Amino acid sequence: MSVEPSPDGPGKKSLGPDLIIPVGAVLFTLYYFSTIIDSPWTAQVSAFFVGAILLLLSFVFLAVTGLRVARGQADLRMDGLLAPRSVALRRLALFALTLSYIFFIDRLGFTITTFLFIFLGMFLLSGWQRAKKRLILALSAVLSVGGYLLFVVAFQRRFPEGPFEQLFKALVASTGGG
Amino acid sequence: MDEVGLSFFAELFAHTFGFWWVIIPAIFLGLIVGAIPGFSAANTIIILLPLTLAMGEEIGLVFMVALYCSSRMGAGIPAILVNIPGTAGAAATPLDGYPMTKQGKGPQALAISFVSSTFGGLLTTIVVLFVMPYVAQVVYYLHSVEMIVVMLFGISLIATIAARDTLKGLIAGFFGLMIGAIGADHVYATPRGTLGFLELYDGVPLIPALVGLFAISEAFLIIEGESILSKKGQVLMRDAKWAETFEGAREALKRWWHIVWTSLIGLVIGVVPGAGAAIASFVAYQQSKTFSKTPELYGTGHVEGLVAPESANNGVTSGTLVPLLVIGIPGGATAAIMLVVLQFHGTTVGPDLFIQKPLLAYGVFSSMAVTYVLMILTVFPLARYMSRVTMVSTVYIAPVIISFTLVGSFVPRAYVFDMYLALAFGVIGYIARKTGYHVAAILIGVILGPLLEQYFLRALKMSKGDIMVIFSSNIGNVLWVCLLLSLAVPYLKERHRKRSAARDALRRGEEAELGGTTE
Repeated sequence: MSVEPSPDGPGKKSLGPDLIIPVGAVLFTLYYFSTIIDSPWTAQVSAFFVGAILLLLSFVFLAVTGLRVARGQADLRMDGLLAPRSVALRRLALFALTLSYIFFIDRLGFTITTFLFIFLGMFLLSGWQRAKKRLILALSAVLSVGGYLLFVVAFQRRFPEGPFEQLFKALVASTGGG
Repeated sequence: MDEVGLSFFAELFAHTFGFWWVIIPAIFLGLIVGAIPGFSAANTIIILLPLTLAMGEEIGLVFMVALYCSSRMGAGIPAILVNIPGTAGAAATPLDGYPMTKQGKGPQALAISFVSSTFGGLLTTIVVLFVMPYVAQVVYYLHSVEMIVVMLFGISLIATIAARDTLKGLIAGFFGLMIGAIGADHVYATPRGTLGFLELYDGVPLIPALVGLFAISEAFLIIEGESILSKKGQVLMRDAKWAETFEGAREALKRWWHIVWTSLIGLVIGVVPGAGAAIASFVAYQQSKTFSKTPELYGTGHVEGLVAPESANNGVTSGTLVPLLVIGIPGGATAAIMLVVLQFHGTTVGPDLFIQKPLLAYGVFSSMAVTYVLMILTVFPLARYMSRVTMVSTVYIAPVIISFTLVGSFVPRAYVFDMYLALAFGVIGYIARKTGYHVAAILIGVILGPLLEQYFLRALKMSKGDIMVIFSSNIGNVLWVCLLLSLAVPYLKERHRKRSAARDALRRGEEAELGGTTE
């Protein structure tokens, strides 16, 4: 990574992470071209124009990086992408938790899933020992229910529905509000 | 039109002030919806359309205008405090706003933003009232060829501003344009680059892109520290009083000339349909940096770096309504909804509107001006308290940002897919931030991608497929030269600066050597 010097030597930069976006851009552009190769020109022209410039820029960047590596000014280590190491594990766990949040929100609805996500997320980041358990519990409850009342009830937004939302709707309907 | 004089305007403003009871709730609602990604003013107006239509033409219009203006300001609040712009129009705001917050200058930054926004918006509104027919002429000079260059110009500007390395900035911008080109083509509906996802046939939705690139990536970054503030910033924020808020206002007012010209940039760009606040704020930022005596301070929490985008994006607000009222072309989504409301009430927009219904036509801008005046009184006192959010530990902030912004990306289309998409953009944003490819450049690319293609197709249709059409217009060619200059000048200036520094160092070394020999 450009900001962190490599342990190999002073001033030597780890440029591995810097290559992810240009390499990704090249691969995506080539994939994009493959999807339009048989299309009419109207579907191709803008993409070929933009894609060609992107390929050119990416190759220039890759060439410059290659030159720096060849001169010994940099290396291609991937250090730093998840740095600092002390947070790397928590960051990956939070990412997994976020993926689970999206997976379950369609099944359990906004309120319950958000409650669980905020609760577990805050626990994860603060650590079990240091966590202020009551505060986290209260915050998770207030934010998830408050979010539901503000966005769904007040602003009439379509949020994923689950048992809580259905129960709330049934309660409102039974009291004559719906 | 002859009857329109100063007494008419005085009467108009007095009349508009009478709607304070509509404007104040709309201001607070606009601040909330502007601050939350996915809850734009346009969407909120659509949701509240039944209410707006029931209100009657004049009150409905006043309500929409007030909501529109305050949402623009609201979008800057999370941009400054947590580096997450509420809308793409505030994408340039965190460049200097967020570093100020990290230094513990949250109240000052918010006050600067509020003052620049209100005065920029107020000034351009007043200017528009008097020069509306002339400003609207801009639309007639910009056709598809010129718009192609404007779009590429926008990308190159952002590339040179947002990223420290121009090459990285350009790669980010063009990568964004490529992502923006995903979806079925406009003529034959051929799917392109969709990776097989039906949900991408309509193109990449902007809210998940905004949420992912800014909010999700930021949430994964801020957990590196316990607070988003630096140690010094924490001390400053703990001791912050009203004085800091007033200091921010003073700092902004001292730069009144800066507010004037950057908001006018916003006004002119706002008049061009489709260009929007995102481009305007970056252009204003770049111009501000170019003409600054201290360009090296930009990006470190410089006052002028915050004043410029905030004044400009509020200048856009008045600008987008000009083509709507003068020639009947809405300059943006909110303006388009206003057109629908006006048509519902049987009002035809266009030049005749100013003769047949002057109170209504000019009333749009007078309600805008009144909104800005009331905004100073209602929003400014909030700066001190809003900035307190930065004192909350990242342990609590990060999960809340992730959950609420992800759900925000679900809102526009109600697809869970969009939440996954936001997470994917979050990963791209995280890598981009860690490696110096600015996320704003990618986002602007995603926004401009589909527009660029539309203008490309139009230009090529007119020229019967001749690609050289992009160099066929005089205005376009001038813009091409400006584009090349905007890329070359920073590079040449940097080269010149390095050479001068090397020369100075050499001279100092020789002098020191000479001094040593003499002794």
